Amino acid sequence: MTSKFWYLTGLSLKKKIKTKWFFIANILLAILIIGLINVDSIIQFFGGDFDQKTEIVLLNETNYSNIDQTFENYIQEYKQLLTTEYEASIEVYSGNQQNLEKELVDTDKIGIVFSNNEDNYLEAKVISDQKIDTMVYQLLVQVLSATKTEVAMSLTDIDLEELEKINTPVTIDRIILDDASQNEDENMSLIMGTVFPTVILPFFMLVLFLIQMIGTEINEEKSTRSMEIIISNVSPKVHFFSKVLASNVFVITQGILLILYAGIGLFLRNLLATGTNITGSITTEFSEIWQTLVETGFVDQLVYVIPITLILMILSFIAYSLVAGILASMTVNMEDFQQIQTPIIMISLVGYYLAIMAGMFEGSIFIRILSYIPFLSCLLSPALLVIGQINIFDSLISIAVLIVFLYFTIKYGLRIYKVGILNYSTDKMWHRLFKAARNKDV
Amino acid sequence: MLKVENITKYYGDHLAVDHLSFEVKDGEIFGLLGANGAGKTTTFRMIMGLLEPTEGEITLDGKKIDYSVTDKIGFVTEERSLMTKMTVVDQLLYYGILKGMQEKDILAALDEWLERFKITEYKNRKIKELSKGNQQKIQFISAVINHPCLLILDEPFTGLDPINVEMFKEAILELKKEGCSIIFSSHQMEHIELFCEKLMILVKGKPVIEGYLKEIKRNYQKKNIFIRGDVEKKELEKIKGVVSVEKTAGEFIVKIASETDVDRVFKAVSKNKITKFVVEEPSLNEIFIAKVGEAYDE
Repeated sequence: MTSKFWYLTGLSLKKKIKTKWFFIANILLAILIIGLINVDSIIQFFGGDFDQKTEIVLLNETNYSNIDQTFENYIQEYKQLLTTEYEASIEVYSGNQQNLEKELVDTDKIGIVFSNNEDNYLEAKVISDQKIDTMVYQLLVQVLSATKTEVAMSLTDIDLEELEKINTPVTIDRIILDDASQNEDENMSLIMGTVFPTVILPFFMLVLFLIQMIGTEINEEKSTRSMEIIISNVSPKVHFFSKVLASNVFVITQGILLILYAGIGLFLRNLLATGTNITGSITTEFSEIWQTLVETGFVDQLVYVIPITLILMILSFIAYSLVAGILASMTVNMEDFQQIQTPIIMISLVGYYLAIMAGMFEGSIFIRILSYIPFLSCLLSPALLVIGQINIFDSLISIAVLIVFLYFTIKYGLRIYKVGILNYSTDKMWHRLFKAARNKDV
Repeated sequence: MLKVENITKYYGDHLAVDHLSFEVKDGEIFGLLGANGAGKTTTFRMIMGLLEPTEGEITLDGKKIDYSVTDKIGFVTEERSLMTKMTVVDQLLYYGILKGMQEKDILAALDEWLERFKITEYKNRKIKELSKGNQQKIQFISAVINHPCLLILDEPFTGLDPINVEMFKEAILELKKEGCSIIFSSHQMEHIELFCEKLMILVKGKPVIEGYLKEIKRNYQKKNIFIRGDVEKKELEKIKGVVSVEKTAGEFIVKIASETDVDRVFKAVSKNKITKFVVEEPSLNEIFIAKVGEAYDE
């Protein structure tokens, strides 16, 4: 029976891996992952107008003569905030607003009209023929606000030196009293709010692969009526666990392949960035990443976050495959399975979105409790742990709950499976399911 | 030898099989008949170990049926049990290995069977690409490739043309000669009559007729008399004990209620010029319809 178990497991894996579908899907995934990592190089390879200057035309209708110079100074200062290289040329216009508007028609130029309001403070109009790029518009808003402040200050008796001191950003000395939180940075939540969901997206994708694989296989054997022959030679238990093992090995293999594609992507990125000195550049880049992670206190957390995440993910994969297999055994065709798998996918989706938004639920007891629930815990618990909203003890509770869940799923699920795989009745599926679970004789 | 002793199977409150007992000796073909829902499939599933009887016991060569025994049982199901996306060779390797065979033995046996059924060219084709008849041949091969000591054939001739039916008949009779116990189920009674010495007809999980075919026919009171000669249909219908009269191909088929009515019919027609007067036992089909019909009327 042991050799039959390994044969069935091997056959299931072979059926999944030695297919055109697997080959094509992996080529597409490799292209997608490598492409996304090197998207900037790809964009530059195809060329385009990347270094277009913004032409700004200033019309000064106020009494302040140096306003164009002040504006330009702030443009130079604030453009550092933009991630891409940005250049702007500034031209002073001597006509009126009406003529300026005519001049801006069918051009990419941006017109700015300075005037005084009733309180004699600076106000501005931003005129353009088309909509302005959001980042450029934000830059202009900041520059105009700074210009207004400086003009207003210059009208008071504050000298230039004093004014510079006022404009210097505030010095913040950050003190955290809790020893456990000493190494954490306030930026951590922001980093994990964006980085972590990106990391767990492949996990979500693998869960979908897993559900599909085990469901399709069991359903195919059942709908072709091969199940009677198979089950007359191997026990339902052997058959079921061979499917569970094969589907888990498959998704773990697929997961390793995804990591490999990401590695190739990073390798190519370094290759494209540095030309020939590949090893050196990878080392440098990883050193920088590592340094950043050390500074934010993330490395200290990795020591326990990685094992906890891996344990939760592997246990969750097993839980997903058990439930998908049990439900598939009760269906008689693929349409039925498509319907019945929807709730599992929805639960996984909920976990994914909750993990993305984990940073928004500061101190929520409800979210903490949700992080203990199987299927959600694998996504939610590591996310909350990383941003410090739960501690290791909470994650251990999630693992314990998952183990208990697996025990009961195996205990009652096998009863359902044994009845389900040979049952072709189409009515009252949930009724049959619970009835089978209660039946101790099977 | 297969021994089914007093088995009963309940699905909840529904009684599917009711105290059923029979034996199939080595080299014997046993017919298990019944209308749809009579309990045949449940009985087969219990023999295959797929279902546990609520009561009673099933043994093969004295051993209770479990996974150590099912490797020696072949099963041709009523509906095709083939993975249509697999190739013929992969499918047979799959089922063969599950029956505990070695890969090389399966491949050697497969080549022999494909040759015998004249389908060697389909060895590497996907099953879904095969005709219904050829799929049925593959299903049959999958059931016999391990030289089973018990073979269950549930409607084995479905989808086969007369030439292929002959091929199957030869193969089944050969297996019988080798000492394989065979349970045969079909709704085509001529096939049962051809193969089975012993049979059982089930109605609602209970046997209504069982025993050797010859005895069943002999003991069945209603007979058919074939008469050719100068007689009228109306005249025949008036005779006491005559159930019905049919005229086909220049002769009358007179169905009588009991063997004792033969003399009365002979006396009545012998006054006329008669060229044929043959008393025959009824066909199994007639017995089946009569017995199953009676049981449903009760």
